[in-house]
Formats: sequence, structure tokens, C-alpha cells
Amino acid sequence: MGFSTLILFMIISAIVTYAVSKQNSKAGAYLTVLFSTISLLILFLGKSNIGNEFTLLYMNFKVTAIGWYFSIIMVLIYSSTSFFNPYWMEKILHKSSYNFLYMFSLAATVGLFFSADLITLFIFWEIVVWSSTFIVPLGKSRRAAVVYYTISSVGSMATLFAIMFVYSKSGTFNINEAFAFLATQPTIASFVFFTFIMAGLTKIGIFPFHIWLPLAHGSAPHTFSPVLSGGLVKMGAFIAYISVGVLPAYKAFSTSLKIMGMPVQIYLLMVLGAISMVVGTLMAIKQDDAKKLIAYSSVANGGYILVGLLMMDQLTFAGALMHIFNHAIASAAAFLTIAAIAHRTGTTKISELGGMIHKMPVSYVVYLISIISLAGIPPMGGFVSKWLIVQGLASKGLIFIAFAAFFGSIGSFLYVFRPLAGLFLGQLAPKYENIKPSTIFMKIPMVILAAMSIFFGVFPKYLLAVIGEIQSSIGIDPIMMNGNTIVAINGVLNSNKVALIFGFGFMISLVIFLVLPKSRKVGLMDTFTSAEFIYTPELYHYANSFYAPFERLYKNHPSVEKFLDKFAIKTEEFGLLINSLFFSHKPSITVFWAMAIMTLIFLGGVNI
Amino acid sequence: MEIISNNLEKDKKDMRKVWEKIGDYFRANSIWMMWYCTGCGAIEMPPTMTSRFDMEQLGMGPMATPRQADVLLITGYLSAKTLRRVIYSYEQMQDPKYVIGFGSCTINGGIYYDSYATMKQLDHYLPVDLYIAGCMPRPEAVMNGFDTLISMIKKGEAKGWKHYQENYDWYHENQLHSLGEVYVKDEFHE
Amino acid sequence: MNFIYAFLLLLFAFFFQTSITGINRKVMARLQRRRGPRWFQQYIDIFKAMSKGSTSHGWIFDFGVIMALGGIMATAILIPIGPLKAFPDVDNIFIITYLLAVGMLGMAMSASGSGNPWASIGVSRALTNMLAYDVPFMVLIVSFIFAFKTSSLSGFAALQQGAGVMGWNFFRFPLGGILALICLQGMLGKKPFDSFIAPAEIASGPMVEYGGRHLGMLFLLHEFSTFIEVSIIVHIFFGGGASPLEFMIKYALLYTFMNIIAGVFPRFKIDQAVKFYYKVPLALAFIQGLIIIFTGLGVS
Repeated sequence: MGFSTLILFMIISAIVTYAVSKQNSKAGAYLTVLFSTISLLILFLGKSNIGNEFTLLYMNFKVTAIGWYFSIIMVLIYSSTSFFNPYWMEKILHKSSYNFLYMFSLAATVGLFFSADLITLFIFWEIVVWSSTFIVPLGKSRRAAVVYYTISSVGSMATLFAIMFVYSKSGTFNINEAFAFLATQPTIASFVFFTFIMAGLTKIGIFPFHIWLPLAHGSAPHTFSPVLSGGLVKMGAFIAYISVGVLPAYKAFSTSLKIMGMPVQIYLLMVLGAISMVVGTLMAIKQDDAKKLIAYSSVANGGYILVGLLMMDQLTFAGALMHIFNHAIASAAAFLTIAAIAHRTGTTKISELGGMIHKMPVSYVVYLISIISLAGIPPMGGFVSKWLIVQGLASKGLIFIAFAAFFGSIGSFLYVFRPLAGLFLGQLAPKYENIKPSTIFMKIPMVILAAMSIFFGVFPKYLLAVIGEIQSSIGIDPIMMNGNTIVAINGVLNSNKVALIFGFGFMISLVIFLVLPKSRKVGLMDTFTSAEFIYTPELYHYANSFYAPFERLYKNHPSVEKFLDKFAIKTEEFGLLINSLFFSHKPSITVFWAMAIMTLIFLGGVNI
Repeated sequence: MEIISNNLEKDKKDMRKVWEKIGDYFRANSIWMMWYCTGCGAIEMPPTMTSRFDMEQLGMGPMATPRQADVLLITGYLSAKTLRRVIYSYEQMQDPKYVIGFGSCTINGGIYYDSYATMKQLDHYLPVDLYIAGCMPRPEAVMNGFDTLISMIKKGEAKGWKHYQENYDWYHENQLHSLGEVYVKDEFHE
Repeated sequence: MNFIYAFLLLLFAFFFQTSITGINRKVMARLQRRRGPRWFQQYIDIFKAMSKGSTSHGWIFDFGVIMALGGIMATAILIPIGPLKAFPDVDNIFIITYLLAVGMLGMAMSASGSGNPWASIGVSRALTNMLAYDVPFMVLIVSFIFAFKTSSLSGFAALQQGAGVMGWNFFRFPLGGILALICLQGMLGKKPFDSFIAPAEIASGPMVEYGGRHLGMLFLLHEFSTFIEVSIIVHIFFGGGASPLEFMIKYALLYTFMNIIAGVFPRFKIDQAVKFYYKVPLALAFIQGLIIIFTGLGVS
């Protein structure tokens, strides 16, 4: 099936879902599962469509390798998350519109990745922003949607401006032609570079635009947070790619000042990416809400992706593309497990939960695998991509960016461990003694995503082959693979072998464990308490301010939120001042202005 | 008491298998202790541990938790309140485990022999493998006692933990008799 | 075939490191004017722990220990001993440091799985400690990779051999060498950076619920992780070894030196440790890194 039909199919399916949901919301929710999975299959099987061009109405599309890669990730996340939709129908206020917007935003993202001209790109971008803006307040908070929309519109407007500016200079909306025109004009190119990438920066949540992520991810419906974090954030990565890859940034900036060997414009954004890694990590460490914690980790991982994309080289760019995939599946799986827990317990606060492993072992294993991948520990997918990024940074000697990368990477052990210890392990509160494990239907996508994390960690060649094709299609050296070995400039990685060695170590360890004398099983409350008798599991559970000594070190940090809050208050005050000066109903003010204007006229009249 | 002395007679014979003997060799040469500082005996431990007498040369050392410890040192008198906790700690230790009664308080109440609040005879409640007499025993005596414990373990004579398992009813009855049952269970009572 | 070789390597690592630990207990005792235990006391301790009974707090408590020891043993297999390697091309420094984290995470998981809050406090301190010492060390390693165009341990070692003692990176990059030793002290969890196993304060932290076979396996884990950490520094800063014997001698001397330093220090609070690492060693790392990248001083 051609992809023109696919986009039409997705839009029609959104409308069908809406009509069905009006009658029976649960049936509509199952339809979202069906339609998104069909779309995933069509996309996956339609790789031969790469290179096709088609037009729908007045919108031009071109199927590129990278667009195909991004849309596969997006639809994968949408379809795996949709398995949770049926269980949330009774909790969501506007059921039919939720289902409609869910499918409609999916259609728009696919359209966005295949758009061939800037206007099409912008239209689909806005559709996604609007539809997700209306989904976010269906969860906990309306304020989150306002913040999300405000920040998104800052980015969108900057990008729209850049599009119009490029059009006025080059006279075309076609992405490739318009940006190719800029290659020879460094000043215009750097202006367009900074304004066009704004939408991407806001969407990935790069510092200082990261504040919407924890708010929106944390308070969106539990079924939409995985999509926001795993999927929609990656749209920003696509815009970032266009700004640095399609707009030939390195060619345009070849004459500009170099810092650590990078053009200053690009290094500036890399520094922003590095700050995002550090800020995201530090903020994630002190969150109590598991969803906000993973949202801040998305900020940190967005930093990796941005830095990798900006490098546009053989290693780091491949690492970034791979990290987009790995982070998408890992963070979606992590959000899904949190959603599964919230489905049974009704809360996502780490300090209110504990000991969930004894009730939901499958969710625990999925969460464990996905956080190992998020933290970049072998043998999971996240390790391969982080390895590529770090090797790339090392080969260029970018030690300041590398510092942030390591801080984010080792800091991630801290924050991924918090929900593990506080939410899944530790003491089980008596009120959760009788909760049931999540349903089979909810387990399907979680297990599949976790399995993918392992699979692409052990056999990265299948993913890197696709990435290599993308790299050759945009004219940079493809990543080198020798069988299962990734060959980098400064080292090799055979993750297949690493996984094998890990398995070997694990087997020896298992044998040692089994031959030694058997253990006696004891309850969770039978622990060393300095011989004190304790009967309250909730109080005997360490989950509050887990890293208290470390958090204390940066508790008085400056914050963008505080600055923006102050700015909002000042703006409001200024508005009130204007209001009271010019739009007042008091006669005295009116008389004052009348007098003032007349005085001006009399004084100025001399000159007229 | 009758039962215990009978059992002691029975256990005099060395019925250990080879690997148990090997295990006992390791256990004898690496004794980690947890001491329950209920009385003045605790003050005799620092000189025993540090440079002057250096108990590490026997392979012994202090441990923080009962899970890791092999020997429980009761270093002084026990009250009704502390005995309950000593028993709790003893039951958290891993087999094989040993108990040393330290000072005369654990033997017959010592100078607290006529107090209403102290437990006079420790071996009614826990299986004591070895007593170190004295009020208080000097570090020399303590080291000597440890030496005896080591040779007892090597010979397989330190079997208090087995007696405790086999005669648990007897011990438990004594414990309940002296400590009574606990009626209120919350954070402030036991 | 490689796996048999790997197994032998593991056995070697265990016996070598455990003997050295035993000897170092003796050294430490002499430092404190004691007689100290016999040199094979460490073996007795390990086998005794394994011979005892144990308690388990559920499947994650067991699984975490197995995963931890498995991960650490897998990492130990990657370490070359002088010229000997079980597998070619896997001694990449990033693979080693990240695979090491599997062991750490497994142990942290198992400790928290016991349900004891002290274990969780210990784990939180251990992870914070890791954030402190690993970042400056890794920044330095990045500049080394940039300079030497290799990221494998044997590659680093090979580049230093043949030029005598002054060819060692420790002398060619003195700032980096000092930083590496400070970070090694943190990696080994020795004083002054050992607040996560404070026995009197949090009842030995992560280890609080372990006894019997679990404790025995954690002792093995500790021996293997010490082996890995010291070997990394020997390979990168002290020229590895042209022969296994040379490597063993360097290793033993370095480990004893670190132990003696630990013998005279009190303990940092965990936030003090973080502050320290982000002041002195991080500054050293950046200075040394910039020197390497911009002047190439020391890189011949």
C-alpha cells in the first residue's frame, strides 16, 4: 500500500473511531489498538516506498529513509500504548474526543515525517501540538496544558517565522531546495538555524524550554504520558535533524569561529544540550512522582539526542538516531509500568507505594529492563547508543560535553533506582495487600517493548543497518559494522559477545548459588531492626527524599520556573497598570487623559 | 535441665561427617561476633579488639548485624525488656550460631542476684555454649574464653543452636514464663 | 575454548586478589601495631560464610545477588592480565565501566529487596559516591582516548611499554595520575570514601541483611570488583604488564599503597565526598584534559 493511502487511512480511522466512541467508548478504545497496529504493519512492510513522492490536496510529501525511521518509532509507541486505552475509558472525561485526538495526532505525526515542503511540515506540526494540547488536560491538571501550549507556541512561532523568512529569500517552500540555498550565506543561515530549530528545542525539552515536560508528562492521562515521552518528544529531534542536516549547517558555518573544533553556532546548542543533561538529571533525582521523574529523565536523554544529532558524523549521529529508538521504547515501557501500577493503586507517588514487586512481578521486570536500557547498562539497547555517543565525543575531544554526558549517564543510575527501591521494592503497605496484577492485555505491549530493548542491545546490527542507510542517504559516512562488531575510530564494540560473556558470568554465579546450602525464607518485616519490634510496614519503608544528602547540595539552585513565574507576575502587573490607566471607568482618569491630550495638542499645535 | 544434660551426654560422641568437619574448621577460625552491650562487660571489649590483645589474630571480629554474626556475646545483666530483644536477635542469626555468657550476671545474676528486674540464669532462655566468669573478666580471660570456644567448635562440641531447635518448647516456655505474653502491638508497645 | 580460558582467568583473579587482601589485612594490622590475622584469613572468612545457613527475603533478594556476582564476574573476564586476554577486542574501558554497573545495580536491587531501610540508605550513599568519583575519572579518560586514539585497556598499556618507568602515564600526566589515584580510592570504597558501609551507623548499609551464602557471594563480588578497579588503573596509568608477573607485582604494590592511605584516614560524610570530588579531582581532570587536547603535552 502506498503511503498516501496510509495517511488517508489514518485520518479516516480517526473519524471512524470518533463515531464509534460516541456510541461505545470501550469499543472505540479497542479500535485505536486495531488501527494503530494496522498502520504500524503497513509502515513496517512499506519500506520500498522510500523515495516516493506524492501530493494530497495541496500538500507535498516525500518518503525519506529518516522519515520512515521516525514514523516507525512513533507508530510503534502509539500502538503499544493504545493497549492501555480501554482500561482508562471510565476515568477520562471526554472519551470519544480522547480516542479521536489519539488517532488524529498519530496521523499528523506520520504526515509530518513525510512532508516535503515547509508549509506541510508546519501544518502537521500544529495539528500534533493542538491535539496533544487537548489531551493533556484530560488528566490531572489544566495548568499543565497551558504551560505546554505556551512553550510549544513559542517554538512554533519562531519556526513559522523562519519558514517565511527562508521563503522570502529563496522563493520556495520545498525543504531541500530552500535550505540548500542557504549553504552559501552564513549570516542568513545562522539566523534561520537558530529560529527554525526553536520548535525542535521546545519539543525535545532542551534547557530552558524543559519546564513543560514534567508538568505535561506528569499530569497527562497515564495512557498518554508514554506517547508524549516516547513519541512526541522525538518530533523535536526530527526538526533538529532538519536544521542541522538538511540545512547544511556545517557547510554554512565553515567560516565561523570554532570552539573546541566545532562551529560556534553548533557548539552553543551543544552546550544547551549538555545543560539539559545535567539539569534533567539533577531534577529527576529529587522527584517524588514517578512520572515526573521519568519526564525529567526524558529531558536528560533529549540532551544526548540533540548533542548527537548536532555532531552530524559517523559515530555520534548514528548513536543519536539509535538513542531516539532506544529511549522511545524504554521510556514508553517505563511509563506503561507506572500506568499499570496507577491502574491498580491510583497513585504514582513513590513515597505512597512500596513492595509492588510482590504483587506485580511482570511490571517489575519490564521496568527493570527499561531502566537498565535508559541508564545505558549492557546488554540493553541504551548501552550501544550511549557508547556510540560517548565514543564520538571522545574522538573529537569535547570534554565539557563529555562531562555532562557522563554526569547524566551515572546520575541516571541514581534516579532510575529511586522508583525501583521506593515503588517496587521495600515494604508492602497493608492497604495494597489484596491488589491484583495487571491484566494480560496490558502486559502484551510492556513485554514486547522490554524484549525489544534486550534484542536491539544484543543484536544492534539490525537497527544499525537501517541507520547506516539513513546516513548514506544524507551523505555522511555510514556506521561501520563487521559482523556483530561495531567498528568505531577509537575502539570496537561487539555487544553480542558482551551479552554472551554476561550470560556466562550469570551462569557461573547461578551454579555457585545453587550448590551452596539452602536458605530459609523469611518475611519482609523480619529484618534487622537493632532488635526493636516494629509492626507498621509503611513507616518502615525508606522512600522519602532518598538522596537527601546529595539533594541538600543543590537545594538553593537558580531555576527557570521561578524566573518565569516572576516574569508572569510582572507582566500581569504591567497589564493591570495599562488597564487602570487607559481603560478605567473612573471619570477622573478620563478627564485627566482628555486634559493631557488637549495640552499636547495645544503645545504641539504651534508646530503644525 | 534434665533433657539438656541428657542431650549433652549424647552429643559427646563425634558423629560429624567430613564436610561438617571442614565446615567446623572454617567456622572455628573465623568467628564474627555481635555483642549485646547490656552491662559493664562492653567496656572490656575495646581492649580485646584493639592493638593490645588483637582478637583479629584469632580470626575474630565485630559485626554490625545478627545476620552476619556467628557468636552472640551477652556482656552483662539482662532485664525483662532486654531479654526479649536478645532472643529476637538470636533468632535472626544464621545457623550454626553460638552464645557466650559474659561475666557472673549471666550465670547467677551476679551482684543483681536479688533484683526483681533481672534475669538470673541466661541458659534458661538461650542455649549458652560457654561462660566466661568474672566480674568483669579481664581481656586475658576473654581471650582465653575465645580460645576455648574455638577448640569447642573444632571438636564439634558447641552445639547450643541444635539444642535450641530440639528443645525449643522448653526454652519457649521459660521465655514466656519470665517475659509474659505481649498484648498490645503497636509502635509504642511490644 | 575461550570460555574455559575465561573460567581459569576468573579462578586466577579470585585467588590472586583474595591472597592480596589477606596480606593487606596483615599490613594494616602492622600499621596499627597488631599481630593481625593469618594471610589466608580472607579465604576462611569467605568459605565460612558460604558454609552457613542463610535467610532469603523473596526471589528478588536471591536474584539480585546472582545478577550482581554474574555481572561482576563477566566484567572481570574482560580484564586483561598483562598480555593474557580471554576474549580479544572487548577490553574497551566504557564496556568495562558500564558492565561493572550491572553488578552494582544487582546488589543495590537485592539489598533494597530485603525491605530493610538501612540497606536502602547504604545503596543511596553508594550510588551518590559513584556519581562523585566516576565523573572526573571519565572526563580524564575521554581526553586520553582523544590523545591516544584507543579505548582498550591493552591498547593503553601497550602504548606505555618500552619506555621504562618514565613512559608510564602516571609520570607523563602527573595531574591525571593523582586524580586517578583519588578516584581509585573512591572506587574501592576505602576510607575516606566508605560512608556507604558504615557499620556502626547504618549497620553496614547494603550488607545488613546478608548472611550465609548470600554474604559469601558478596565477598566474592567484592574481591572481583577490587580486581577490576585496580587493574583498570594499573593498565591505564602504570603500563599494564609485559608479562603477567610484572602486572601482578604492580597490582600488589598499588593495592597495598591504596590500603595504607586508607589506614590513616577518617571518614567523609557522603555530601562532603561529593563536594570534594567536584572541587579538586574535577578541576584536575579539566586542567589535564585541556592540556592534553590543546598542547598535547605528554603525548609522544
